[in-house]
Amino acid sequence: MNLTRRELLERCAVLGAVTVATTVSLPTLAEAWDAAEAKKPTPWCELGPFYKRQAPHTPMLRTASDAGMPMALSGVVYNTRGEIVPDAKVEIWQADNDGHYDVDGYRFRALLEPGPKGAYAIESVIPGHYPDRVCQHMHFLVTAPGVKPLITQMYFATDPVFEGNPDKNYRRDPLCTSRELVRPVVIKGDPKQIVAAVTFDLVLETV
Amino acid sequence: MMRRLICSMWLLFWAVVGVAGSKPVAQVQLPCKAWNQVLSPDGSQLVVRCRDSSMHVLSLPEGKALRTISAEKKPYAVAYSADGQRLAVGFHDGTVEVSAAKGGVVGKQWKAGPRRIDALAFSHDGRTLLVGPADEAVRIWELGDPPKLLATLPFEFGGISASALSPDGKTLVIAGNDTVLRWYNTATWERTHESRDFLLETFALTFTPDGTQVLAGGADARITVLDAATAKQVKQLPKDTGSYIVGLELLGDDNAATLYLDDAGEKPPHAVVWDLASAKSSPMGNGAVPTCGGKVSGKLWVCTAEDNKLTVAEWE
Repeated sequence: MNLTRRELLERCAVLGAVTVATTVSLPTLAEAWDAAEAKKPTPWCELGPFYKRQAPHTPMLRTASDAGMPMALSGVVYNTRGEIVPDAKVEIWQADNDGHYDVDGYRFRALLEPGPKGAYAIESVIPGHYPDRVCQHMHFLVTAPGVKPLITQMYFATDPVFEGNPDKNYRRDPLCTSRELVRPVVIKGDPKQIVAAVTFDLVLETV
Repeated sequence: MMRRLICSMWLLFWAVVGVAGSKPVAQVQLPCKAWNQVLSPDGSQLVVRCRDSSMHVLSLPEGKALRTISAEKKPYAVAYSADGQRLAVGFHDGTVEVSAAKGGVVGKQWKAGPRRIDALAFSHDGRTLLVGPADEAVRIWELGDPPKLLATLPFEFGGISASALSPDGKTLVIAGNDTVLRWYNTATWERTHESRDFLLETFALTFTPDGTQVLAGGADARITVLDAATAKQVKQLPKDTGSYIVGLELLGDDNAATLYLDDAGEKPPHAVVWDLASAKSSPMGNGAVPTCGGKVSGKLWVCTAEDNKLTVAEWE
């Protein structure tokens, strides 16, 4: 049962599950509650030239022989109302550790379907620096019914370009126009099984 | 991104360099460190696109500064009308300006798209302007006073990556970041055909002079020939692995196509002439990379830069 916030509040009020200690109307309170839970849409960042259709459905982008810092990337797909988008398709592509995109095959490319929980996760490596770009980056294309397609890129706070201070230096890449696209990196594991964990929630605009 | 903005028109001319002589027509001092330049079709002007994001309009052959568009205004795309009389400039904020090319007076400006303008192209008669904002639908504007939006041509996602207008001006083919090629009737702006055979983006499109075929090239590093009437693939030429095509034109009527292949981190930029009939290629081995070019009074002009000095030469 999917009740609107207003319907839920009305039901709760009738059944005594909520006490409204204000003279403000329930519809207004419902709107305020929605606004408090709303999420800002993930900033756009351009698609770039190496998108490829028909990427494989796999969360494992790296192989044991791939060079580069192992990375575990995960996140949840929301809409701007803060609701999970259950039927999203998340396409991710990136350069390998040497900064090369595979256009002949599908190395470091994936198409994910997060499902009812809206959660996605991949295992990969932190991409190298592509020759034409300043920063290490991952590409995202997220589509779902009822939302505007999201095209964006994600960056790493540990990128040497930022010199440890992404707040100050994120604009060194002219395409990185939003600080929130630069994600913190959590180093996990031990020296033999080290991994960089990154979270990146994706918030899509409702149409 | 900048590589994608390299104008395709001049790329074929560079290929001619390897087989023909040249006569310098102008040497000008560049006002900045430049990405590339755009020649006006009448050869009287040059737009210099600078790495600091400014643009400078220079007269040719004098090299006199006619106009400067500061980096603060963030100009991005630029195009001349076919007769060279008008200059369109697209800005980061989605504004487009169309001015008389001569006189340096700032012309009409309007918000032609929601964000940075990546692509501009005049119709043959100069009455309409294709405007391609980054990762957004193409807008077709009629250049009246005020400009009137004639059509919005959407993609599944992303924006324009290339376009070509048929020689008779009746058909526009647009390649999208979504890898689909779409055909439009320019009288009604209805979509008439599409090609979904591409897995990667197309960065260069051109019609054959008779309008019967369309050549496409892009991240798949090969020329694909399509039937202009049906959008069906006719043939594909061999790949140039490790590169991608950013410019593609036909060399006269001899069915030889020239393309410019840029590196994907594996090969340096290079130009190749393909014989479409035999699918054989001839690499152009002079090594230098042109920074602009165009056909002026039936002659081929091409620019090369050394330090901040630009040489414009006529090739015979």
